Amino acid sequence: MKLARSLAAPTLGIASFLLAWEALVRAFDIRRFVLLAPSQILSTLVEDPAAYWGNTLVTARHMIVGLVIALAVALCAGSAMAASRFAEEAAQPVLVAIMVTPWVAYMTSVVIWLDFGERPIIFLVAFTSFPVFTFGVVGGMRSADPAARELLASVDASKWEVLWRLRLPSALPSIFTTGRFAVALSLAAAYFAEGSSLQQRGLGVIGRRAALDQTGGAEVLWTTIFCTAALGIAGLVLLSVAERFLLKWHASQRS
Amino acid sequence: MGAAVQLTKVSKTFGDLQALAPVDLSVDSGEVVTLLGPSGCGKTTLLRLVAGLEHPTAGVITVDGDSPSAARSGKRIGFVPQAPALLPWRSVRANAELLLDVNRGSSRSTPGATVDDLLDAVGLGDFADARPHELSGGMQQRVGLVRAFALDAPLLLMDEPFAALDELTRADMRHLLTRLREPSGATVMFVTHSVSEAVYLSDRVVVLSPRPASIVDVQTIDLPQPRSADMEDAEPFFQATVSLRRALTGGPS
Repeated sequence: MKLARSLAAPTLGIASFLLAWEALVRAFDIRRFVLLAPSQILSTLVEDPAAYWGNTLVTARHMIVGLVIALAVALCAGSAMAASRFAEEAAQPVLVAIMVTPWVAYMTSVVIWLDFGERPIIFLVAFTSFPVFTFGVVGGMRSADPAARELLASVDASKWEVLWRLRLPSALPSIFTTGRFAVALSLAAAYFAEGSSLQQRGLGVIGRRAALDQTGGAEVLWTTIFCTAALGIAGLVLLSVAERFLLKWHASQRS
Repeated sequence: MGAAVQLTKVSKTFGDLQALAPVDLSVDSGEVVTLLGPSGCGKTTLLRLVAGLEHPTAGVITVDGDSPSAARSGKRIGFVPQAPALLPWRSVRANAELLLDVNRGSSRSTPGATVDDLLDAVGLGDFADARPHELSGGMQQRVGLVRAFALDAPLLLMDEPFAALDELTRADMRHLLTRLREPSGATVMFVTHSVSEAVYLSDRVVVLSPRPASIVDVQTIDLPQPRSADMEDAEPFFQATVSLRRALTGGPS
């Protein structure tokens, strides 16, 4: 009952959005490449669900592997930056530069460097999302209660113990917050990198191919866009569930 | 058995700011000494120096003959900060066990009372599995006391632990502290700006001047031990309070 109530509003929101979209396309007779009606996306999906499902899984894997690597790198870099102002000040401009440089522009160089295949895709996903995670880790670790830090110092806790028992749990809320941005970013990076890496599978691969096919590609292109968005929503839902479970103690999760 | 603390010509400067003028103080084993002084006078600095959390600019501090750092790494100091500093993701019991969990190699092999016994003693037995946010301010600070007592340390350093509590809860807390300390006889150095708290808890009260802190008076509280709540209404308690207040404001004692 509680679950039904919490799902009612989002379901209504999505349904209204799809209806408006459908109405818009029909009313203005919008060209298929510009915007395909949801009903046509659905019929394309139903024609060959296994193919779209398989490609979605490939993209999901690229995204997840990339995100896990990004988070691992961010935890190491972030811990060092939280422990030393000097390290933070040195790393900050580099992270900002990585964040603002358009990855669309240097993807070709990455492919040449790492060769075709999965490696450039996972690299790009990890490389674009780790600065966001790092800022979350640093901010979160810095927010650790100073009185608790003092308390741990009073029994000579090691740096590792302070990190594990205090700084890391303190950073969880902001890691989850930045995780939402990282999911969106990594999905875009995965889709684009797949298209550039001459892979055989992945939503980005078939999407790119369809985009070049001016005569009959619109259905496939828009269906890959739809699947990518669905994957992103699934990722964010998963993140919210994990957050609710892991952050029961945090004020943000209490009603 | 409590630890003896000795401060010899200890001073502390932060940049241009002198927080503590040279101070000599010796605290006997098992003694309860309160540092009483106006807000911002440097009494917390003095306590942090004894805890080994700051190093003195000059002078020597010993805890049972060792440096504060050695006492700290040997987990011989139970520290109670001003804020309860409970970790919100840990249960009440896990918070009370926090100091036992870290730096395990230095934990005492034969601890005194268990954490559950101590939680029972402070009336939190039924809240052992609760989260800190479910507790009132007074209850949270009781967990802070249990966390320090669980260490079974010979020296307890308390930095205005009851300052944020209302007057009634505050009175309960000092009675509770006296009861908890009774079995171990640990040495206590207690920072406060409450005169009645100082009288109730202490064997001796060290009165500090405004910054830079220096000792202006040391008064022995001549009330029988162990202290009890009814003493607070008696004439000797009142006299000790008046005498301390005068020392604090610089009037005749």
